[in-house]
Amino acid sequence: MRQAPSPSIGGRLARSLVLWSVLWCAALGAAVWVIVQEEVDELLDDSLQSAAEGLIGPLALGLTEPVEPSTLARAPKTSGRFTWQLVGHQGRTQLAASARGAPVAPLHDTPKPGFSDVPGWRVYGQATGRDGQMLYVAQTTEERAEAGTRIALAALFAGAPMTLIAVLWLRSRIRSELEPLADLSQRLAHYDPMQPGATLGAAEREELRPVHAAIDALAGRLAQRIAHERAFTSHAAHALRTPLAGIDAQLAVALREAEASHRPRLQRVRTAAQRLQRVVVALLAMFRSGAEVQRSEIDVVALAARLPVEGLEMEARGTTPLSADADLVTAAVLNLIDNAQRHGARSVIFSTPAANVLRVHDDGPGVEPARRRELRAAIDAQDYAGRTGLGLMLADLVARAHGGGLSLPDEASGFAVELNLGPR
Amino acid sequence: MRLLLIEDDELLGGGLCDFLRVDGHAVEWARRLADIEAYRDEPFDAYLLDWQLPDGSGLEWLKARRTSGDVTPVLMLTARDLLDDRLRGLDSGADDYIVKPFAPEEMVARVRAICRRSAGSAGARIRVGDVEVDLVARCAWLGDARIELTSREWSVLEALVLRPGRIVTKAELERLVLGFESELASNAIEVHVSSLRKKLGRELVETVRGMGYRVGVAP
Repeated sequence: MRQAPSPSIGGRLARSLVLWSVLWCAALGAAVWVIVQEEVDELLDDSLQSAAEGLIGPLALGLTEPVEPSTLARAPKTSGRFTWQLVGHQGRTQLAASARGAPVAPLHDTPKPGFSDVPGWRVYGQATGRDGQMLYVAQTTEERAEAGTRIALAALFAGAPMTLIAVLWLRSRIRSELEPLADLSQRLAHYDPMQPGATLGAAEREELRPVHAAIDALAGRLAQRIAHERAFTSHAAHALRTPLAGIDAQLAVALREAEASHRPRLQRVRTAAQRLQRVVVALLAMFRSGAEVQRSEIDVVALAARLPVEGLEMEARGTTPLSADADLVTAAVLNLIDNAQRHGARSVIFSTPAANVLRVHDDGPGVEPARRRELRAAIDAQDYAGRTGLGLMLADLVARAHGGGLSLPDEASGFAVELNLGPR
Repeated sequence: MRLLLIEDDELLGGGLCDFLRVDGHAVEWARRLADIEAYRDEPFDAYLLDWQLPDGSGLEWLKARRTSGDVTPVLMLTARDLLDDRLRGLDSGADDYIVKPFAPEEMVARVRAICRRSAGSAGARIRVGDVEVDLVARCAWLGDARIELTSREWSVLEALVLRPGRIVTKAELERLVLGFESELASNAIEVHVSSLRKKLGRELVETVRGMGYRVGVAP
């Protein structure tokens, strides 16, 4: 099964950084916008008030009576974004700035001192002190918004490059801070806990120190276990190999000394003993860490003929040669047919349904589909204890040692096992 | 050949001893390192040495023998089959290494090979003048004629041929051919040498007066 790619720490940090930078910019922009708007409004209000206070003296001199609109005096033109009016107590405009778009109608019908808003204008009204006369100084809201926007944008444009530089710098820092992890991976790739005094070396970052310590401790435990396993295998090997050699030597002598009529029987016994030697040696090799598969071409017909099993018919049908470790395959097949025999099979058929795949199919009672599914699950998970017998476990280990695997195909009758012995 | 088998397992040791004797070799069997002391001054063509012995390491014993100048060929017989073990065995002075379980026929072939190489010959046949000695077929050829030898004659010839150019004393030859049986027949060696000369020519075995016998020259 193909493994889904794992998320990258660098990628995640970079994405988070960009996201937070954008959010930070947005929040900063909003804050700047609000503050600038308030400050600019306040500043412009102060300007309106100052302008009103500056205008009120000269404009109010001598203008006490209302004038007709047709005779309304017009002051010199202003920019159009700023205007003022003198409004009499009757609510009539007595004097107004001459500006394009400036209102002729009074900004307020009734005297309204202080700041106020009318559509399109921000107004400051101040009584002139002459019979209810009011001076209104006004600025377009558009002008005020534009001023606020310009100041806010200027602040944002000044901040954006700094943000971009900060993002780039942080990305570079992230990459640089993640380099010790890449270095750790490199060290692990060349780390052999079985070498005397093997250690990962000093951690490049304080945060990696516990990781180094944990890996070194794990490697120490692993090395100790392997050393124990090797010691056990060595003892077991000695306990098994020496008697097997002794049996063969005794049989060799017996063959030489025996009468001619006894020799064929002795030779068969010696051949079987030698097969047993091969199987034991293969099993010892398989259970030893780091064992290597010794591939050779295996003729399945010859393999079936060599198996020391009595009371079970064995047939090889349309087989092609396998490339595998003959001793390991023999050990696996021996255990499989031993299983078959114990479960009541009377014959076993060997075939090669695909390249370097050996099928062993017996005519025993087989297993229920549910049980077959359980066995498949146990084999896939390599969780054999209590779930499969020794035969299937050994066969799976042998197939995996070759780079393949074991499968249990559905069969209408009997029980079938397929050993995929990996690429040739 | 006279061989010293150092093996603690009764089944294997007994089987190998019998096999080698049936094959025509003189074999002494030591079950422990301490037993080897009894053979300290005895001549052997090769040692067959187990690694793990009840009273110590065969490998350490071998190192000590090599340090003391013993050049007798050694075949390690051991259950230790790891590459590191094989390298250690060979680097400690063993001439060859065979992993248990093994067929005794292969073991004998390896013993022949290390003895042959020790005598300076790579092939199975060793030529001495007009005589060619076939160490595998256990016979000699004089020109084109195959000369049949008795077991004892062969043993004498083999012991001398495997020590080309070297003077082998009568006592040493007796030990090599007869083992501890040599005490029972004091003139047996002269009889067999004489017989060899009759069959293969007088020049084959040279008598070095007062010292012993010699075949050929050193390689």
